[in-house]
Amino acid sequence: MTNIKIKSKNLNVYYGDKQALFDVNLDLNEKEVTALIGPSGCGKSTFIRCINRMNDVIDICKVTGNIEMDGMNINDKDLDVVSLRERVGMVFQKPNPFPKSIYDNISYGPKIHGKGETKSELDQIVENSLKKSALWEEVKDRLDEPGTSLSGGQQQRLCIARAISVNPEVILMDEPCSALDPIATAKIEELIDELKKTYTIVIVTHSMAQAVRVSQKTGFFHLGKLIEVGKTEKIFKNPNNKMTQDYITGRFG
Amino acid sequence: MTKEERLKKRNRAEKRFRFYGLTSILVALLFVVILVQNIFSKGSSAFKKTVITTEVFFDQELLEIQNGASQDEIIEADFYDIMIENLIKAYPAKDREEEDQLLKLFSGDAEIEIKKVFLKDNNLIGKTITLDLTASDDIDQLHKGNYPRDLPEERRRISDFQLVIYDYFVENKKISKNFNNYFFNNGDSRDPELAGIGGALVGSFYSILICLLLAFPVAVLASIYLEEFAPKNKITDFIEININNLAAVPSIVYGLLALQILLATIQLPRSTPLVAGITLALMTLPRIIIPCRASLKAVPPSIREGALAVGASKFQSVFHHVVPLALPGTLSGTIIGLAQALGETAPLILIGMVAFVVDIPSSPVDPSSSLPVQVYLWSESAERGFVEKTSATIMMLLSFLIVMNFIAVYLRQKFEKRWN
Repeated sequence: MTNIKIKSKNLNVYYGDKQALFDVNLDLNEKEVTALIGPSGCGKSTFIRCINRMNDVIDICKVTGNIEMDGMNINDKDLDVVSLRERVGMVFQKPNPFPKSIYDNISYGPKIHGKGETKSELDQIVENSLKKSALWEEVKDRLDEPGTSLSGGQQQRLCIARAISVNPEVILMDEPCSALDPIATAKIEELIDELKKTYTIVIVTHSMAQAVRVSQKTGFFHLGKLIEVGKTEKIFKNPNNKMTQDYITGRFG
Repeated sequence: MTKEERLKKRNRAEKRFRFYGLTSILVALLFVVILVQNIFSKGSSAFKKTVITTEVFFDQELLEIQNGASQDEIIEADFYDIMIENLIKAYPAKDREEEDQLLKLFSGDAEIEIKKVFLKDNNLIGKTITLDLTASDDIDQLHKGNYPRDLPEERRRISDFQLVIYDYFVENKKISKNFNNYFFNNGDSRDPELAGIGGALVGSFYSILICLLLAFPVAVLASIYLEEFAPKNKITDFIEININNLAAVPSIVYGLLALQILLATIQLPRSTPLVAGITLALMTLPRIIIPCRASLKAVPPSIREGALAVGASKFQSVFHHVVPLALPGTLSGTIIGLAQALGETAPLILIGMVAFVVDIPSSPVDPSSSLPVQVYLWSESAERGFVEKTSATIMMLLSFLIVMNFIAVYLRQKFEKRWN
């Protein structure tokens, strides 16, 4: 029996007057990959941005309802978002390495959290993170080069390594492969498979095939509502809801 | 209209547009060339000064000091007689009247020039040395070809007899042109041959330094707060609109403000680089805030999100990532703002920097001039020697501006990161 890592209850999100999420109840299992699918603007990204409070950046955004991680209320006004984001990493749609060296890209997180006091500890963290994100062999001789000089797929793996570097419990991925070619995508998917042994992963994707390949659980969103959630196999082979059926067979979206 | 006709019309329109564009650029270039050519042709002669090679004999009888006198003694001593005795020997003059005319060919500083030589070597008594003494403005302009000698005598500043002496000097190769060190080292003077931009240079330097020290930190902090931390609401919008308005306020208004507040109310010393610097800082502030905010805005939000996502606080994401990336744009905006401040004249006139200041300021609270005001002052002077000095000062000012703008462009090109 798998543990529930994150639990959302009646989660509502508003951007000004517009409501983006309606009463979302979704449980994410520990050390599993959960895929969120649905047409553009359906609230998938909004949902995962609630998990690390990234929505705080948007002035007009308001979140109500409950979202918990290991019983801790994420939506608590008094919660320190810095320590939350240390536990919940995020990888974005477009690779966004800092315009600094590969080494600095990865050592930045540990540094600001006071991990890796000495140079050798930091070196170790950088090496481990790059190894876990399957980038070490490609970049070990050029850690001083800017992260932006890497190819798109390598940049995205660098961003994954950056997220791993602070040793989070959860990794959120917002369409991590949408800007990548198929070969780079395959590498990232392989990596996700490997990472789920250690981390709880939530991935937003537009590719149904990708959801099938990488996830154990799938949630289907439509117009801000969670329409259906269940085991990936079940959702794609035998969905309960007509709308899910229509979406995965490509009738809309 | 057939398809071919339409196509032809379209091509013609494009050709016409290219022609108009090219013409505008050529017209603009033509004006620049005329301006630069005019300034150069008038100003370049100011970097040379005319000197008269004269033999100077240090006669013990005419000096009350001895060989080996101390510096203080020499400075106290009178070299007037030595100067007169030696200068009148430069040409065989017949009477007192002719001697007076001869003496007028030398600058008013001839005595000081002779004294300076003796200050360097205090064993010259009883010896004769050859010196290059600065010529008076009239001879200087005549020798540079700026002064017409074919006018009738009563309309000339130089008498016929002085022309005879001049021709004698030329014939005997006693007159030549040297590098004009006075132009760079001296302060302002009533005598054009002695006037220099030293005081204006130092005054401008202090003013710009104070302007930078005041405007840069305030502008950068204001921009960072407005762009990254301030809530996006009506008050912020109102502030933004007003910053843009301030950048468009005529500079003379800042001069009036400084006159009322800094001089009349706070009673800061008049005509000083301190007041000039504060005034220019007020004027430059919005002109730095605008490019600074633009370069902060140009940093893609993904960088901020990336930093926040690994657990950086808002402050850390701004100061570790956004500000360093916006720095090249900010610095180049600052330099361009300072370049504008360097060329600003109107507010400085109001705070009294038009005063005639001979001394080179030794601190920002000494009365001083500044480069653009010096241009303004000299352009109003009647003497011919100030015409070339005006243009030469403009050349100096322009070269500072060009260097500053070049640094600004270089900073931007070299250090600004390109996205995607």
